[in-house]
Amino acid sequence: MDPSGVFPTSYRSDRRLIRTRWQFLALVVFMALLLLAPYLVSSRIIAILNMMMISAVIAVGLQICTGYAGQINLGQAAFMGVGAYTASILASKTGLTFLLTIPLAGLSAALFGFLFGLTAARIKGFYLALTTIAAQFLFHFAVLNLPSTWLGGSNGITVPPAELFGQRFVSESSQFYLNFAVTAIMVAGAFGIVRSRFGRAFVAVRDDDVAAGIMGINVAATKANAFLIGAFYAGVGGALWAYLIRFVGVDQFTLFHSIFFVAMIIVGGMGSIVGALIGVFIIRIIQEIIATVGPNIADSVSFLGGDIVFAGMNVVLGGVIALFMILEPKGLMHRWNILKSSYRIWPFPY
Amino acid sequence: MVYFINDIITGALIGLLYSLVAMGFVVIYRASKVFNFAQGELVIIGGFIVWFTTMQAGLSLWLSIPLSLVLAGLVGYAIERIFLTKLIGESVFSMVMVTVGLLILLRGLVLLVFGPAVRPFPIIFPLKPLFLGDMLIPMNLLIGGIITIVAAVGLSWFFNRTRSGLRMTAVAEDHVVASSMGISVKGSIAVAWVLGAILSTIGAMIFLSGKSLTFLASDIGFAALPVALFAGLESIGGLILAGIIIGIAQSLTTNYLDPLIGGSLGSVVPYIIMLAILLIRPTGLFGWRTIERV
Repeated sequence: MDPSGVFPTSYRSDRRLIRTRWQFLALVVFMALLLLAPYLVSSRIIAILNMMMISAVIAVGLQICTGYAGQINLGQAAFMGVGAYTASILASKTGLTFLLTIPLAGLSAALFGFLFGLTAARIKGFYLALTTIAAQFLFHFAVLNLPSTWLGGSNGITVPPAELFGQRFVSESSQFYLNFAVTAIMVAGAFGIVRSRFGRAFVAVRDDDVAAGIMGINVAATKANAFLIGAFYAGVGGALWAYLIRFVGVDQFTLFHSIFFVAMIIVGGMGSIVGALIGVFIIRIIQEIIATVGPNIADSVSFLGGDIVFAGMNVVLGGVIALFMILEPKGLMHRWNILKSSYRIWPFPY
Repeated sequence: MVYFINDIITGALIGLLYSLVAMGFVVIYRASKVFNFAQGELVIIGGFIVWFTTMQAGLSLWLSIPLSLVLAGLVGYAIERIFLTKLIGESVFSMVMVTVGLLILLRGLVLLVFGPAVRPFPIIFPLKPLFLGDMLIPMNLLIGGIITIVAAVGLSWFFNRTRSGLRMTAVAEDHVVASSMGISVKGSIAVAWVLGAILSTIGAMIFLSGKSLTFLASDIGFAALPVALFAGLESIGGLILAGIIIGIAQSLTTNYLDPLIGGSLGSVVPYIIMLAILLIRPTGLFGWRTIERV
């Protein structure tokens, strides 16, 4: 929020993303640091950054679907799975380059998401949200029960590495640049979507879908679009995941993973792209800590064995979701915005 | 032919079990407008309470069943006090998201406290099936079906005919309006969660009687979800019909279609039926068609 008396004087200045010189500088420094990261930090941290960037693509998609358009989506991991499977089948069977498989993975996931979004023409409210759980179950069923020559069944699929001009993306740092490029494009696209006509329609539908309909917005189409875009992001993220892990299996895309993505946007803040990125950062760090500390604790509490990481992850992230909903339902980004605007207008209250 | 009828009867009884678990969803929704995603977790907590009072504390069944129900009610009350009371006045979206958090929180806690070990569950209902001519009907499901029907009739009488039930219905309609009419939203949500937890525990007893207990049994919550949506989130009586239809469809698919296609289509048939019905009737079979105002 700007101090009182400061107004944008044109439409362009009202919708622009970078408002001050310092913001521009901060963005440049941030991008430069990320680009140089493989030379600055150890490969362990690069591996974590890779996971974060892939999660960021998926969480930004979920943010558009849930945070902007207000459609609860508990099937994001299934959409991600559709993308991952599409990319790995295309890459391993037809040998297409990743320049084509990644967008195609996004499109196939978008189609799958759109099917569930289409039900919005008839189904409303909670009923719609709950049909996304059906997406999760149908995805598992399809993978496990279709002939295993199609989708690999319970064995999963091994994915060949991404390749460009004879250069294979196998090392952590080369994959880092692949993920960085795709993530940057997707996040920039998200900023574009949410301040476009579609983004404003999403916000209107989220705030009150009946009122939005009266104002001439096609509510059903907007909801279907929200699922389409959210699933497209999930599909692209899934394709990146397939190239990073080089193996896809149905266990990587469960309801629990969907809830982890929900946790990311809740922590960061609903209705903010930067919030989604912050949420990804925090949740991934928490997951990293649990995955590192868990096995050590498991030695002393032996009866739990390997399940302690899964159990601890669920307790901590479930607790985080509940705590944030009770204490800070608008997320960390909201707190930051309050801080920022009170700094800008100091010493006046508003 | 006998097998066919037997499959239909067993399917209908399993469907009634789904209805009982789904009743937990509906009761909480009917009294608080919150859709509880953590219903399957309540079932498994109920199961562990029953296991603890009988197998661990060694109480007789006549003592442990009422005790378990009381304890389960307390757990439901505690969850409501810790998580949901704080959210009255926030959007329904927040409350639903909290139950999503609860889903994984409770799953993790159960795993941390009880571990992944497989435990024997007490035999609450006679193991010997009922023989009707050539047909055999599992006793636990038969008694469970009767309990389900009694509970459905009782609860729908409570919600539709009694004064306190109608108050709770008003809370489900609109929290702010209800509280400005002098209805305690807090009290209503508390009763809802106590009832939901008790129903889940009864569901656990019927489902698990004489079987083994692991944390994976909570998947029954997701098996029951299509029944709740199929019937409509507001209708308790409708659950019986929805449960029977879905149970029979699932049983017939598992027994006759799955051997042909060599898969487990039976596990997703409830979801397919649910999606089909929701496309025709968006609020389920008996859900309220609300008029929305701006």
